[in-house]
Amino acid sequence: MVRAKILAQFIRWEWTLEYRRSNGWFMPVLFAAMIGYLVNLLVRQPNPIQWLSLLWITLVFSSLQTAMRSFSASPSEWIYLNQLARPAELLIGKSITTALNTLFVAWTGVLLFGLWLGWPTPEGMDRFPFFTFMVSISFGVIGMSSTLGFTAALSSKLSRNTGVMAILSLPLLLPTLLVALRTSKLALLGEPLSILYPNWLSELALSVLPIALGLLLFPYLWRS
Amino acid sequence: MKAWKLLGLALVGYSLYAGLMFEVPKLIRLNETIRNLYFHVPMWFTMIVLLAGSLVYSLRFLRSGDLGSSVNMLRDRQAKIFAEVAMVFALLGLFTGMVWAKATWGAFWTADPKLNGTAVTLLIYAAYFVLRGSVEDPEKSARLAAVYNVFAFVMMIVFIGILPRMTDSLHPGNGGNPAFGNYDLDNGMRMVFYPAVIGWILIGWWIATLRVRIAQLQEQNFQNNFS
Repeated sequence: MVRAKILAQFIRWEWTLEYRRSNGWFMPVLFAAMIGYLVNLLVRQPNPIQWLSLLWITLVFSSLQTAMRSFSASPSEWIYLNQLARPAELLIGKSITTALNTLFVAWTGVLLFGLWLGWPTPEGMDRFPFFTFMVSISFGVIGMSSTLGFTAALSSKLSRNTGVMAILSLPLLLPTLLVALRTSKLALLGEPLSILYPNWLSELALSVLPIALGLLLFPYLWRS
Repeated sequence: MKAWKLLGLALVGYSLYAGLMFEVPKLIRLNETIRNLYFHVPMWFTMIVLLAGSLVYSLRFLRSGDLGSSVNMLRDRQAKIFAEVAMVFALLGLFTGMVWAKATWGAFWTADPKLNGTAVTLLIYAAYFVLRGSVEDPEKSARLAAVYNVFAFVMMIVFIGILPRMTDSLHPGNGGNPAFGNYDLDNGMRMVFYPAVIGWILIGWWIATLRVRIAQLQEQNFQNNFS
């Protein structure tokens, strides 16, 4: 099955490559920053719920940008990777690196949003619930990245894949997105942890489901 | 003609007559629109059964040892055509639902979880057809489409089955609203509703198998004339 040592090696290898090709990770970060600034220019002083919706729109498109690159290795790199690792290890390794990359981009996006548009404090609250909000956002983004990892793997097999990947992913992202939006709204409104825990659990379940499905289907995708 | 096809015809014919002519409970606001239950709900049952059929063909396609064999390419064609016919039923269910919503809720479209589920289902399968169209090699197209079909079906079931129960809805059976079955689907209505569901499922299946046969004949014709 999955060998932990190979998996760790693979992730480290991905990480090194990612760091070396600095334009690789810089592009989605810049993309998130640009959308954030655009929103800041177009929508002055949104109310908390609008702020949250705009944030999620930014996060969806930046995650799409990030995940799109995750399976874009050259054919010779794939031959090497296939000798190094088994399909399941490749998928899990790629899912972990995609999740980390997406998280990095998302956190940058959220911080820039807070910097430019301000941190919204709903009525009756004295401050922005930063910790619970960030946890809700992070679980949601991990859920999105595990679906996006699979569609990226699928569309890496197509020759003209940029538009197709967005079309394949967006409807599949909706369940995760709605749960994440609801959870982060509850966090923003300062609900206690006892209400947030079940929502975090459903966010996590929605990030595990696509990976489990991917593990079943990945061998068929890779047979060629 | 096989018996199940005759049964399908008979049941749909019966439900068309009985659905329009038999007694129904008199309820405020619903009034006579309750008869739409016999036409709107069976469309969704048929869609789900046909999509499940498409899923089974995709799974059988993937599990085969010889992906490109002609038997296996037939399974791919079956998966595609069953999804197509299912989408026709989804559109019919959507239109009958919209008419009903206009009469009872006051608008053709509301931000309701059931409607969002329908929209997502239509988008997911539209993407499935786009995916099929964007690959030239038929075997590769079939393989990628089968993988996406399995993935998308599970995500769709999660979406339309579980999520609407988490949010408020005007639709019967959701968000604290009782389903019709709980109190006003009396025995008279059951005697029309269940035959309608079974009849439409059989008719939908029949349409799909007919379309598969037409596609096979066209393919044979093409092979005979051009190769």
